[in-house]
Amino acid sequence: MTDVAAPSGIARRLLRRSAAARKARYSTIKIWVGAICAGIVIIPVALARVLPLPDPVHGVLKETSLPPFSPGHLLGTDPNGRDLLSRILHGGQTSLLIGVLAIALSGVIGIAAGAAAGYFGGWVDTIVSRLLEAQMSLPLLLMLLLVVALFGPSVPVITLVIAVAQWPEPARLTRALVLVEREKPYVAAAQVLGLGRLKIIVRHIVPNILSQTLVVVFLLLAQAVLLESALSFLGAGVQRPYPTWGGIISDGRELFVTGAWWLVTIPGIAIALLVLGVNLLGDGLRDRVRRAKAVTG
Amino acid sequence: MPRYILKRLGQTVLTAWITVTVVFLLLRLAPGDPAVNYAPPNPTSEQLAAVRQEFGLDQPLLSQYLTYLGNLLHGDIGTSFQFRQPALQVVMDRLPYTVTLAVAAIAVTAALAIPLGVWMARRGDTAPELGANIATIAGQSMPDFWIGFVLLIVFAVNLQWLPSSGFTSTSAIVLPCLTIVVLQVALISRLVRREMAVNLAAPYLTIARSRGVSERRLTWRYAFANSSIPVVTALGTRFAAMLNGVVIVEVVFKWPGVGELVVDALSRRDFPLIQATVLVTVVLALVVQLLVDLLYPLIDPRVRLGQEARS
Repeated sequence: MTDVAAPSGIARRLLRRSAAARKARYSTIKIWVGAICAGIVIIPVALARVLPLPDPVHGVLKETSLPPFSPGHLLGTDPNGRDLLSRILHGGQTSLLIGVLAIALSGVIGIAAGAAAGYFGGWVDTIVSRLLEAQMSLPLLLMLLLVVALFGPSVPVITLVIAVAQWPEPARLTRALVLVEREKPYVAAAQVLGLGRLKIIVRHIVPNILSQTLVVVFLLLAQAVLLESALSFLGAGVQRPYPTWGGIISDGRELFVTGAWWLVTIPGIAIALLVLGVNLLGDGLRDRVRRAKAVTG
Repeated sequence: MPRYILKRLGQTVLTAWITVTVVFLLLRLAPGDPAVNYAPPNPTSEQLAAVRQEFGLDQPLLSQYLTYLGNLLHGDIGTSFQFRQPALQVVMDRLPYTVTLAVAAIAVTAALAIPLGVWMARRGDTAPELGANIATIAGQSMPDFWIGFVLLIVFAVNLQWLPSSGFTSTSAIVLPCLTIVVLQVALISRLVRREMAVNLAAPYLTIARSRGVSERRLTWRYAFANSSIPVVTALGTRFAAMLNGVVIVEVVFKWPGVGELVVDALSRRDFPLIQATVLVTVVLALVVQLLVDLLYPLIDPRVRLGQEARS
């Protein structure tokens, strides 16, 4: 921005205060704050097995219900004497694993279905669009609960359920973008050159829309983590005693009346920080991608 | 117009049929036997078989399904396994609680989110707006059950200002309502901001301003009036979704609505009750959606229903 040769009469200071420059600066702030919030949670979770933490499943019986900042237990312990920090970090591995797998899956399904619907049109578009509409009118959380309650709360089932819940968003966006993209001259050129339709989609169209779609898929990670924690909270999460975030809060809910507020509050802060980080990061990136598109056309 | 309504009602029936069929199949195809929950303790296989026969679960899948659909057409949506009374009755007993909560939540949401969104759009790209922007993102980032617990800890346990659970007095609605509102305000105010930003930058607004129309009138009568259809749609969709049971909030606050009912019915595998709850709430949500769509021509005279169904 500042490298642009300033037209005479407009000081650099004024340029910096212009709406466009402010927008750019605000998306940078969002990206940084987002990255820091997400990093605070993700890095320790990733290192959970390396860090010197107490056992998350088997507690020490004489150290039950310790408040935070007790010696040896930074975030305190639960009534079974299990270290809360250790449980949150190990639980985060499950929650994050499910979230990342789910958005990868829904991203692939969504982009493939959306691109096919947008490029081929006709009956392919009809099927995909009807499916999207049908899913819109179903009570989502109820359906997820139903499936998980009935088919058992294992990591593959929960991942699959979240992925199915989330595919509409990337699918709808991809379809809209492909509809615009397929009218561009380079697609006609590729067709004249005799390239196969699949090749045109995969090698030529999708790379042009990927940056916008991937930001949306990344934003779904926030939703996926929230959904997973909601399911575990309702008892449809990965089985205990293996800790997950929603499960830890659910265990703690009977106990906060006794004054053990940290068992509910602290895992929630971990979820909220991570989701806030992902949301801010995604939002900032989306602003930036949009601006880059607007500049290059 | 009547043709449009008929067509939409037809779609409602179709969607309801697909939903009950999916639920019916999921329930029957899943592993596990509901009879275990309703037979005497340590049942013999004869006792289990008797329970299954009583509930009609010994029939082949197809004949169970056809019986179910046949009964539906006669207005009989099944008898609850656990309450031994018509499932519709059980659902209807709980429905007012969910509707009350949903109405209260959507009213508070609209009252807070619309002014907030308009303000953010008018202050676009300034430092206070960035603060509000990040705050609304934060509002979307907290798990709703967690918000509920924090409110409970602060207001019910520590300050003891408000009751903690159930439906004991009118003030019991405050905390569940507040829990829902946090997320909804965050979502709706961002939508209002987005729509308003487009209209505030539109050429017709510049022309109106050059004619000397006051800023207040520009904001509300011009820009907001033109942003209102997407906003009303979003509020309607959110409201309809709440009617499907604000499951999590109801469980946290032990609110006796349909969301809590269905979670309970799921754990007991009370098939008819689950089916009835899903059917009633889905139909209700679809009807609300239809009513919202019928509002469009009142909000914006340019809209003609039936030609372009959705804006």
